[in-house]
Amino acid sequence: MNFDYFLTFLVFSPLLGVLVLSFIPNTKESVIKTVGFLATLPALLLSLVAFFQYRAGVSLEELSENVRWVQFADPDTLGNLFSINYELGVDGLSLIMIVLTAILSTLAAVASMYIKKEWKGYFMLFLLLEVGMLGVFAAENLILFFIFFEITLIPTFFLIGKWGYFEKEKAAFSFLIYNGLGSAVLLIVIMVLFARTGTSNINALASILAADSQNLVFSSGTKMGLLIAMLIAFGVKLPIFPLHSWMVRVHVQAPPSVVMLHAGILLKIGAYGIIRFGMGIFPEQFQDIAVLIAVLGVVNLLYGAFLALIQKDFKMVLAYSSISHMGIVLIGLGAMNEAGIQGAIFQVVSHGLIAALLFFLVGVFYERLETSNIKNLGGLAKGMPITAGFLLAGAMASLGMPGMSGFVSEFMAFLGLFKELPILAAVGALGIILTAVYLLRAVLGITYGKAHREFAGVTDIRNKEWVPALVLLGIIVLIGVYPSVLSDPLTSTIETIIFKIGG
Amino acid sequence: MENAWIIPLFPLLSFLFLIFFGKRLKGASAYIGILLSLASFVYSLLVLFERFSSPTHKAEAVWLTIGDIQLTAGFEVNQLNALMLVIVSLVSFLVHTYSKGYMHGDDRFHVYYAYLGLFTFAMLGLVLSPNLLQTYIFWELVGLGSFLLIGFYFYKEEAKKAAKKAFIMTRIGDVGLLIGMILLFWQVGSFEYDEIFAAVAAGSISTTMITLTAILIFVGAVGKSGQFPLHTWLPDAMEGPTPVSALIHAATMVAAGVYLVAALFPLFTASETALMTVATIGAITAIFAASIGLVQTDIKRVLAYSTVSQLGYMMLALGSAGYVAGVFHLMTHAFFKALLFLAAGSVIHAVHTQDIEKMGGLWKKLRVTGPLFLIGTLAISGVPLFSGFFSKDEILIAAWAHGNTVLFWLAVIAAFFTAFYMFRLFFMVFSGESRSDMSHVKESPGVMTIPMVILGILAVVAGYVNTPWFGTYLGDWLTEGNAALGHGHIEGPSWIMIVATVVSLLGIFLAWLIYCKRSLSRDWLGAKTMYNILYNKYYIDEFYELTVVKVMKFFSLFLHYIETFLVEGLVKGVSAAVSGLGRLGSKFHDGQVQRYGTVAFVGLAILIVVFAVTGGYLK
Repeated sequence: MNFDYFLTFLVFSPLLGVLVLSFIPNTKESVIKTVGFLATLPALLLSLVAFFQYRAGVSLEELSENVRWVQFADPDTLGNLFSINYELGVDGLSLIMIVLTAILSTLAAVASMYIKKEWKGYFMLFLLLEVGMLGVFAAENLILFFIFFEITLIPTFFLIGKWGYFEKEKAAFSFLIYNGLGSAVLLIVIMVLFARTGTSNINALASILAADSQNLVFSSGTKMGLLIAMLIAFGVKLPIFPLHSWMVRVHVQAPPSVVMLHAGILLKIGAYGIIRFGMGIFPEQFQDIAVLIAVLGVVNLLYGAFLALIQKDFKMVLAYSSISHMGIVLIGLGAMNEAGIQGAIFQVVSHGLIAALLFFLVGVFYERLETSNIKNLGGLAKGMPITAGFLLAGAMASLGMPGMSGFVSEFMAFLGLFKELPILAAVGALGIILTAVYLLRAVLGITYGKAHREFAGVTDIRNKEWVPALVLLGIIVLIGVYPSVLSDPLTSTIETIIFKIGG
Repeated sequence: MENAWIIPLFPLLSFLFLIFFGKRLKGASAYIGILLSLASFVYSLLVLFERFSSPTHKAEAVWLTIGDIQLTAGFEVNQLNALMLVIVSLVSFLVHTYSKGYMHGDDRFHVYYAYLGLFTFAMLGLVLSPNLLQTYIFWELVGLGSFLLIGFYFYKEEAKKAAKKAFIMTRIGDVGLLIGMILLFWQVGSFEYDEIFAAVAAGSISTTMITLTAILIFVGAVGKSGQFPLHTWLPDAMEGPTPVSALIHAATMVAAGVYLVAALFPLFTASETALMTVATIGAITAIFAASIGLVQTDIKRVLAYSTVSQLGYMMLALGSAGYVAGVFHLMTHAFFKALLFLAAGSVIHAVHTQDIEKMGGLWKKLRVTGPLFLIGTLAISGVPLFSGFFSKDEILIAAWAHGNTVLFWLAVIAAFFTAFYMFRLFFMVFSGESRSDMSHVKESPGVMTIPMVILGILAVVAGYVNTPWFGTYLGDWLTEGNAALGHGHIEGPSWIMIVATVVSLLGIFLAWLIYCKRSLSRDWLGAKTMYNILYNKYYIDEFYELTVVKVMKFFSLFLHYIETFLVEGLVKGVSAAVSGLGRLGSKFHDGQVQRYGTVAFVGLAILIVVFAVTGGYLK
């Protein structure tokens, strides 16, 4: 099999859709929606091919691409110093993130059927967003990463600001300000690293810093400073308390299909960045602040859970639930052992799927009932039994019911933390109870009890709507029952990280 | 036995099939559920018989790899597991059959059978688990099954509340179990029961750690088995359909806590403190729940409190190192309590009320249910020759032999209470004249009575597998080849049996005087205060509402204010800073060339200064 430019084509394949869309008049709704959906398929197909090839034993090195791009030092005297190459490549972790992105993009494209206006612009931005997300995970150097990272910001801004709900502009602006500041901090970190080492390649940087045990390249204080700046930059994205409030707004105001991607993938870029760059480039310093990370994780977990407990709007519950669940990622990373890191990565994938499922379901019933207020929705199971069933299944996955992906990740993260910091872990374990309390309160409040309204004429989930619901629940159960499907591809990535931190 | 893993798959198949295709099948769903649960039962019986003659079988495969750690999944057929398989699959099969009559005509008939299948799958998976992690996985899944079935009538507010409460209360316990299990893992390096026991026996775990983990795991059992103080969900769980109460909240799931302690028995016996905790909680629960049972007026709630109380007995037995006694009572209780619930369901099916104040005189109308209910009542009261008599006797002997004198007497008093309130229930339902219009009352159909007859027979004869008179077959078999489980039979003074008999007969006699002959006043409690306290279940729900729930809500609100003022303030600060900076910048862009020149000059000056100070390099 020939893998030349495989990743490039994978990453930029949604642009084909943008190209086709530009020739279609803005009024042809169904054509636009079909094209938008079809345009996500090449990436899905290619990423699955890569995934199954990898599982069959093909080395991921074959996928790497490296083309000279920009240089501003004399290559004759200084070699490759100060050159920025166009480098794409994947390992187990980024491959999984790419597969996740491709799956969620396709499903979110299906969920975009609820978009009511200006479909053409919507799908162009949507596909551009997908390019950005795929590129973020495929980029092998920091500058390329940063470019793709920025590419995700702009479409998201417009998607929220134009197609969202009542306070969409406000949400879009706070999204942009926060993420813009995060990006600025990240850019500074990248520039310092680049200026001092002359390379922005992630692996090269990691080995330069690994060889720098004498602190010749950077003083130890600088290293710590860079790591903390990076944590802040990605902490905005994840989000880490108290940098989270923009994300609550986006969850509530953006259209469900965009939130599927936002909660499913965009937040995960924060986690991915912390793992790849924080842990990957500064393993020693990361170890020094591991306890802090774990504490932040527990704070996120409990803070999100407590606030989710008193929300009146189901979307708010899910927003705070996302904060709470990202706490588990931090808990796993803070543990700094195999179980913890594997748990954190599992949680990234698992929460991506679960959040996408739950927000898709919000879209399903919001479309019909025009409310997501828990009080107004009681007794949904009477009128929409199947939707209610999916909702309950999603809640169970989210609260860590065994047999579903949430349990495996939560279990491993706590397994890891209990080894290192048992008392903190025990405090965090309270979050497991709280999660059950707030999710049941919300979901039972919506689906069970007396019906507050007439459901006459309200149809249950149907036709295309089955696809995202079934696919997402299917993958969630698959990972829960047979977690090796995810852990096998991750083995070498986690071994590398553990080797670096000397575990 | 090599294929025992197939047993849980029958009900799983039933669940999947009915969830996807049940709607089209409607009434025929029942046959699928019944047939598949029958298949489980037949297979379980075969496994049990095979286990009599061959050793424990265990098979495992890697489930998840974490670094060097390999977590496995598999199944194990030892004596306890084989016995549990038969109990669970039998009661499940009978309840599947009975439900065909009881649930007849329900719109969501197929959903009901699907949930029953899910629950049975999880419960059978639980009793086959060879390691703690797998036990925990199925432990949660049985909780899910229970939750779904309690909330089956989802449109009822009470059912919704009860389902939520059951889930949350048991989850509190489950977190204890999870923590205990993980701590144990890092001590032993494995979740396997065998390796845990080996490490305990080798003394490689400190006593403090053993005590801590054992007690944490016991917290899980407390939640699941409705032990004090996490018992409050179990009586509320009666909101579910009555056959479900028989299967889940009497015979199987609630016994899972007892099963867990039994399965980890060598861990508990390694710590006297842990054993003492188990025994004390058990005895307190036994008498505490029995005292509440004295005054309840809902037929299912009386039975629910008796379940809590009987589970307390089992815990007392295990905590007194009476492995056989605990497991024995688990088995006999499964039969007579399932019988009682199914009989109660038959009564409710006939009279359409659960309030015993409105019943009475049903003996003449329900000619099958009545005698069967009486058998169950005699068995639970510990009347000689019925199954409960033998198992309760074993428990009392175990408590006495272990030196838990106080707990022993508590258990004796609880036995008196039990006999009294169970016969109070019986007399109020079946004797005297009916207290409301009962003209429409008819006996239940055969599909409901036949399962009850089978359980009725078992409630009488199940005790004879382990008696001091005819041989302790069960005990000898259970403990065979495993010294850590103690002896097959504990010798105790013979007066214990006499005391137990006298106490239970006394309770029945008193109940007869008050509720049947009515020669004593019904206000036997005298003081109204005491009655109120008991009737309101010691106000424990209210206490939780006032403390835990309020504190949690308060804390949530507190954080909510932090969110609104502090965090949102931060947001405002950031956006104000950004827009302020923008405005400041825009001031310089006012079109005056002089100003542009100044700014450019200042900028250049700063750069030169920096350049000069750093010596030409930006270090």
